[in-house]
Amino acid sequence: MSKHTLEVLVENSPGVLARVAGLFSRRAYNIDALTVGPTKDPAISKMQIDVDVEGHALEQVISQLDKLINVISIKEILPNKVKPAPTDTQPDYQN
Amino acid sequence: MSTPNGTAMNGATSLVKSLEAAGVDVMFGIPGGAILPAYDPIFDSKIRHILVRHEQGAGHAATGYAQVSGRAGVCIATSGPGATNLVTPLADAAMDSVPLVAITGQVPSAAIGTDAFQEADIRGITMPFTKHNYLITDPAEIPRAIAEAFHIATTGRPGPVLVDIAKDALQKETVFNWPASVSLKGYQPAVQPNAQSISDAAALITQSHRPVFYVGGGIMKANASKELREIAELLGAPVVTTLMALGSFPHSHPLHMGMPGMHGSVAAVTTLQKSDLLITLGARFDDRVTGKLSTFAVNAKVIHCDVDPAEIGKNRFADVPVIGDLKHTLIALIPALKAALAKNRPDLSTWLRQVNNLKSTYPLGYDKPSDGSVSPQYVIERLGKLSAPDSIYVAGVGQHQMWAAQFVPYELPRTWLNSGGLGTMGYSVPAAMGAKVAAPDTTVWSIDGDGCFQMTNQELVTCALNNIPIKVAIINNESLGMVRQWQTLFYEGRYSNTNLESKRVPDFPKLADAMGCVGLSCDRPEDVDKTIEKALSINDQPVVVDFRVHRDAMVWPMVAAGTSNDDIMIAREMAPDWDSQEL
Repeated sequence: MSKHTLEVLVENSPGVLARVAGLFSRRAYNIDALTVGPTKDPAISKMQIDVDVEGHALEQVISQLDKLINVISIKEILPNKVKPAPTDTQPDYQN
Repeated sequence: MSTPNGTAMNGATSLVKSLEAAGVDVMFGIPGGAILPAYDPIFDSKIRHILVRHEQGAGHAATGYAQVSGRAGVCIATSGPGATNLVTPLADAAMDSVPLVAITGQVPSAAIGTDAFQEADIRGITMPFTKHNYLITDPAEIPRAIAEAFHIATTGRPGPVLVDIAKDALQKETVFNWPASVSLKGYQPAVQPNAQSISDAAALITQSHRPVFYVGGGIMKANASKELREIAELLGAPVVTTLMALGSFPHSHPLHMGMPGMHGSVAAVTTLQKSDLLITLGARFDDRVTGKLSTFAVNAKVIHCDVDPAEIGKNRFADVPVIGDLKHTLIALIPALKAALAKNRPDLSTWLRQVNNLKSTYPLGYDKPSDGSVSPQYVIERLGKLSAPDSIYVAGVGQHQMWAAQFVPYELPRTWLNSGGLGTMGYSVPAAMGAKVAAPDTTVWSIDGDGCFQMTNQELVTCALNNIPIKVAIINNESLGMVRQWQTLFYEGRYSNTNLESKRVPDFPKLADAMGCVGLSCDRPEDVDKTIEKALSINDQPVVVDFRVHRDAMVWPMVAAGTSNDDIMIAREMAPDWDSQEL
């Protein structure tokens, strides 16, 4: 297994934490840690999710997260830099 | 006709005006306390509301309507049990990517969270199997939520959306404000495929000598049957259509190898297994198609075309993923492939000879019962022969569903409806009702099992009272037949709780009669045709035919759950004669 940290911007709407947590639970993805905090925009919250996956599974986690309507963007955080999510097949990462 | 923005009204009227603005012409539902304010303006609306007998019926009817019309189906229910009765149809619609909008009433916002009478957290309950859902407590948000719900349900990969509205939001005064357009930060489904992936796909196809089009239900959602036929004929490669794609490619077409999967044809299953390239169009490598995944088409590369990026690599690695609407994808791929083939056209003649040999050696078939009783496959085969070519068939789940998939020759898209992903027994009668509402001038057959029929037949009352003359063929083997088949094969014939005794009780024709339908019965092979013809001749009332069939008929071929497609059986303990095949 390998550890990754995802920075997920979500709409600050009721139930959004349940949507994300429920997705991880029902798809049997492992969360090591999850924090939620505000951003400068009160309509948007930032989640930091530490997941324990590898290879294609990480792409699956990102693709499934991206299907949640309240999820605005997903980035993988690497130790010293921020890089976009590791596929170019996802048209709405940047949005 | 449309209500101008800025008009003052209450939330309930705003809801109904929003549904009208979304283009809804029919909805299926039942009123109750929390949704009651909405039913007052529904009384005056031009939207046809069909009063069902159970909310599950409303949900499956909306699905049947959506599957035939291609538009969003709409169902409406009250809070608590009304809403939880929609859970199965919503889960069903999610698994089969059906555009559905469900409206539910919720207890007043001040009572939410207090375990109030008829309170259920339906938004929480349905999160795992709706594409999105809402809980609305402010009447001003109703039009936007409805507009978004229809947008989300019908675009990208279609799916169900639930809008739960607190009773006080329906009662309060508001101002109607229908949004001119819908824009969602977190939702921009792909439409056009990436040009590079199209050329990669075309290049890979020209390098293949054993390609097959593996076509799933997505082709139906994208209305891309015409393009499918064009590209299949352009390449001249075999086509298999999954349970959800039957009718998207004509069964009579020489390139059609049939349905793959657990009860697929030997030709379809083996064509996938021996292929060197799966040109996957709107299919999702479901376990019922792949069998044991690690042994599925092991020598094949994969082009995976899908509107849902999360399907790519979910079960099987894709060498070339193509994300986009399938119609747009095929419209882009056809000229690219034409150009690539002009430079390098692989010789597929050996491959075609091999797969056609399988097709002719192992046609679907069945044995006539030795005791002279009616064979279930024969009934279904005759239904398909005697009904008009554009007839719609709606199956329940089980043996009759597989026989209906095998023995009706589907030539047209949207003529075959079933619960493929969730496998919902009880789907057929209400879904057939919705299908008939969407296509009132077309013959709609519910092909149902005696077990399934007893789960949701109350909607025949709805059909009888609302001039929805569906026809129901009950394939009555007095058993939970598919479970019984597994007990025969895997549990040493220990028939624990699969004997329904439905040739004794209930009396299906009498039950039909009691519900305002015509009831017919047939228990001799020589009467099958005239009974079907009689049923076809009645078009002013629903008809229910009790076909009393042989109990021990089994569905073949079969790939047992968890085994490899290579171990397909054409009958009990009988594998195809692989030595005689050149594959």
